Amino acid sequence: MRPYQEEYLANLRQFAALSHRELPGTLSFDEYAARLQHRSAETARLGRRNIELLREGLFPTLDDLFNAGPDQLADLREFSFQLFGGQTELDVGLFCQIHRALLSLARQKQDRAAMIRELYWLGMGRNSLCSKLVGLELEDIEKYINQMRLCFTEAAAYLKYYDEIEDDETRGYILRARANIALGQFHTPSEKIQLVKGTLQILQDKHYQELSPGLPWDRFIYLTHQNMASSISYEKSRVMSPQDMEAIMESVYIVYHRQIQEAREQHKRPPVRSAFNYSVIEYYCGIISLDQLLRRTEDLLDAADPADFSPEGMYAIASLPAFYSQYLQQFPDRVSSRKEYLDQLYLRILRYVDTCPRELGEGRLFLYLRQLSFTYVETDSGIPYGELLQKLMLRFATEVYLHSLVVAEGARTLCGIILEDDPGFFDDIDFIRAIGDPEEKRRAVLDFAGGCGLFHDAGKISVIELFSLTARQWFEVEYEMARLHTLAGEALLASRPSTSRYAAAALGHHAWYDGSRGYPSAYRRLECPARQMVDVIALVDWLEASTSPTQMYNGPEQTLEEAVQTAVQLEGRRFSPLLTARLQNGRVVEQLRLAFEAGRQDAYRQIYEDGLQAAPSPG
Amino acid sequence: MERTDRAHVEELERDNAALRAALREAEEANQAKSRFLSSMSHDIRTPMNAIVGMTAIALSHIDEKARVQDCLSKIQTASSHLMSLVNDVLDMSRIDSGRMTLNQEDFSLADLLHDAAVLLRPQAAQKEQDLAFHTGGIREEHLTGDPLRLRQILVNIIGNAIKYTQAGGSIQVELSQRPAGADTVWLDFSCRDNGIGMSQEFLGRIFLPFERVRSGAVSKIEGTGLGMSIVKKLVDSMGGQISVESREGAGSRFTVALPLAVSRKDRREPALPAGQTVLVAESQEERAGQIMDCLRDSGLEPVRLDSGLEAVTRLTEARYEKQMPCALLLGQELADMQPLDLAAHVRQLAGASFPILLVSEDDWALIEYRATRAGVSAFVPCPLFRSRLLDTLSSVTAGSGENSSTLGGPDEDYSGSRVLLVEDNELNQEIAMELLGMTGVQVEVAGDGAQALEKFRQSPEGYYDIIFMDVQMPVMDGYEATRQIRRLSREDAGGVWIVAMTANAFVEDVRQARQAGMNEHISKPVDVDRLLDILRTQLKPKAVKG
Repeated sequence: MRPYQEEYLANLRQFAALSHRELPGTLSFDEYAARLQHRSAETARLGRRNIELLREGLFPTLDDLFNAGPDQLADLREFSFQLFGGQTELDVGLFCQIHRALLSLARQKQDRAAMIRELYWLGMGRNSLCSKLVGLELEDIEKYINQMRLCFTEAAAYLKYYDEIEDDETRGYILRARANIALGQFHTPSEKIQLVKGTLQILQDKHYQELSPGLPWDRFIYLTHQNMASSISYEKSRVMSPQDMEAIMESVYIVYHRQIQEAREQHKRPPVRSAFNYSVIEYYCGIISLDQLLRRTEDLLDAADPADFSPEGMYAIASLPAFYSQYLQQFPDRVSSRKEYLDQLYLRILRYVDTCPRELGEGRLFLYLRQLSFTYVETDSGIPYGELLQKLMLRFATEVYLHSLVVAEGARTLCGIILEDDPGFFDDIDFIRAIGDPEEKRRAVLDFAGGCGLFHDAGKISVIELFSLTARQWFEVEYEMARLHTLAGEALLASRPSTSRYAAAALGHHAWYDGSRGYPSAYRRLECPARQMVDVIALVDWLEASTSPTQMYNGPEQTLEEAVQTAVQLEGRRFSPLLTARLQNGRVVEQLRLAFEAGRQDAYRQIYEDGLQAAPSPG
Repeated sequence: MERTDRAHVEELERDNAALRAALREAEEANQAKSRFLSSMSHDIRTPMNAIVGMTAIALSHIDEKARVQDCLSKIQTASSHLMSLVNDVLDMSRIDSGRMTLNQEDFSLADLLHDAAVLLRPQAAQKEQDLAFHTGGIREEHLTGDPLRLRQILVNIIGNAIKYTQAGGSIQVELSQRPAGADTVWLDFSCRDNGIGMSQEFLGRIFLPFERVRSGAVSKIEGTGLGMSIVKKLVDSMGGQISVESREGAGSRFTVALPLAVSRKDRREPALPAGQTVLVAESQEERAGQIMDCLRDSGLEPVRLDSGLEAVTRLTEARYEKQMPCALLLGQELADMQPLDLAAHVRQLAGASFPILLVSEDDWALIEYRATRAGVSAFVPCPLFRSRLLDTLSSVTAGSGENSSTLGGPDEDYSGSRVLLVEDNELNQEIAMELLGMTGVQVEVAGDGAQALEKFRQSPEGYYDIIFMDVQMPVMDGYEATRQIRRLSREDAGGVWIVAMTANAFVEDVRQARQAGMNEHISKPVDVDRLLDILRTQLKPKAVKG
């Protein structure tokens, strides 16, 4: 590999290590806060350096790719597989960028084997990017799934010429591409089942097997059955033909039933995941009722050990409740009789999070909790949903939490200043207008501003890897995906009573005041009764993001004065003139600066205290 | 005396009764006129809204010629409708007094229906209604008659259906023809909705002036109350028939049959690559069927595909076997994905020259940017007419022989246009020149930013249509060259389309290119299709003018 590639990879590893939260141990708060600041500065430095490395090393190569020699191309490939491949996921976005370029080169040269290979890897990269968009509606992410699926489809179309392709490597790519068409979400289970059935027929065809005896056919077939049997459980639709049911049950038998039987024969408890998935499939195929499924799941949940931090234990404690909640969310009439059970279940999860040793499956636990955050059923007696979100951000998305607390403090400050001049400024908001007492109204506005600030980026939980694992600026497609956090945030907050009032801030904080630009199009400012507050969050969020060194993803940082100047220039277009007018006053800017600093300190304090309570790492 | 008095009293009572009746009539007439005056606003406002809205859009995109043209054409449609509406009142009296004459002119039914759809679709969309036009039964598109009056009939009936159908409802418009004699056809038009319907009592009065359905559910519906009576009189005067069936709460169905002469004007059949395969990607049966019929009738071999995955598989095989179809027609729906997602991949797979046509009910002005970026070569609007489909297909496939590998058809002959390619790398220069050269566009080359600036400075105004600008170059980079070009004091300095070509693909790079004054950013290595998309978008007007 080239030196710039080596350095880039080393930086990525260092970046990943820095993104793991360090516990305070014996450090004082001041020492710990200084350490956090240093880590932020260090991640920002790494990000800047990586941008330089790509500009100086990679981009000129891509610029001149048609002239690249074999060594250069080999290095590029090797570099890309260090970024993503097998168990490594250091920078999938860059991996896709490189393989998109290599695919163009292959098309240009009309090199069939290279085209098939590059289509496969580009598909894999895109699949990985799609898998980072957790909990979003299919229509919001369908475009990316299609891009992935079409790559695999094109590669798989060469199956027709399997006989004339001589190398097993290319044949392997074709077969794997054929199987991977069925990755990702579908509108109906049937679409997926048909594709997987087709793949199984091909993989079990003796003709192909005899042509390439060296390929791992058993593994291909098993993985395909696994694909059929596992993800079907997440589908909401129950409409299945008898043929579909038959196909699924066969895969389920191969993947799960055998495991369960073996466990029983050895008088062991069946693996939780297999037992649950098996029940789900039985439910989807109409063999058991929803109540039976729920009861069986409750049995599995009851048997879970809250001191088991192995992957299996973590699944039972943190992931299974997400699926359980999903069914209750779909069938709310089943909730009332299970309220107490749910409340206890969620409490147990939060205790588990507190006691789970750091750096022991942190990523897995976060994934499970993210799933839970999408299906969480809020009851009037249980943990408020906002508390769960706060806990998630504090523990697993520290940078997002820090930013959110700073925005919350900034928003409270700006709202306080506005209320001094104009106590009725926020009276468009129904529950604010209903408050007569001026002091009470002021408190309500500031609380609302704080809540909007705290939760405006809740949707980043859905696309967190784009923020936490990207040690450089984004590419266009990543930026486009990151924008989905507004829709995701709105969906999360709006569907729970305790957070629904903050949903507008999550949805609208990147929209422009005049509607000419920004996103998402689903936010229509003039139709939003909380628009004055959304305007506040939009401005404060932008000021904070523009001045924060860690916000490297879409541009360089600015000083607060520069950011204020830019905001004023965008008055009436991006930002509300009612707000930017106040930024002309130096005292207001100074108050905002202090608020940002106070918010930061508050966040550091909370992170510190949470860290002190955390269980130490094993060993 | 007694008898005389009684007779006198009786006479007075009769007079009084007559006066009371006359007064009631006068009051009723007055009320009807008042109702008419106060409720006319809606029908006038509808086209006015279109005019005001489209004017605002045109003003905000004043530099985008195609967009402004589109807005103007819609304004034209709406204003002529407004004019005809204002004339409604005059029409009534004109018809009543027998002073109305019908024009006899050649017209295109496709154009007429398209104009009507442009006017009506936004109204239906606003109420999220399913407004569908079924035109599969049309054989003769070029007719002779009074197109303005015919459009008035269609717009009135369909407009009423939209008005009197609840949000989310359905309006199905069907047009077909049957022979009516030598060179004459019956144009059968029906409009079926699932709206509020009408009572039997009202059905008896529907064609009387100033009558409108009154119902709590439609208290906000406005209108002149003249539309239906004008429609009836127009249909009568054209020698046609109109009937209506309706049930309260279940909807209505208007049926009109009009005898129209077939235009005798000679029409040239579009040149099509007979016997060649055309892929039709559309999952909706009826729409696919109509497209397939048109293609089959014209000697082509259509192959229907339901899904994007099928289309990509088929095209990959066809490309490998060098048996490419002559075009892909993308419909409105696919079983597994959005048609434009498929277009983007097909453009990469099949190369820049492969014609991808989008057959869609969407407003082209609204989807043009996304569609051309996705690689769509041409657009066929719906309601679908044979002539539109074949003319467009002919324009993008003309000259394409079997397994043709040259770029584009006449739409991609840009020989009247000139681009400046600014690129320091010789191989990249060579590849780009070769690709651009195949479209006929005249390419000049500059080796760095300074040379580009000099060439632009020395050229007459309007000489270059597009500048493809590399970013990293010796002597002067692309950003600086663009900034300096934009600063030149000549008319075309601000307007010439400058495209950044660079591997620097960060969000910030795209922004920097824009800040330097570049209009677009394409990533390197450059995809041929992106290059041609830009030619298509930027040079289209010139190409069309030919």
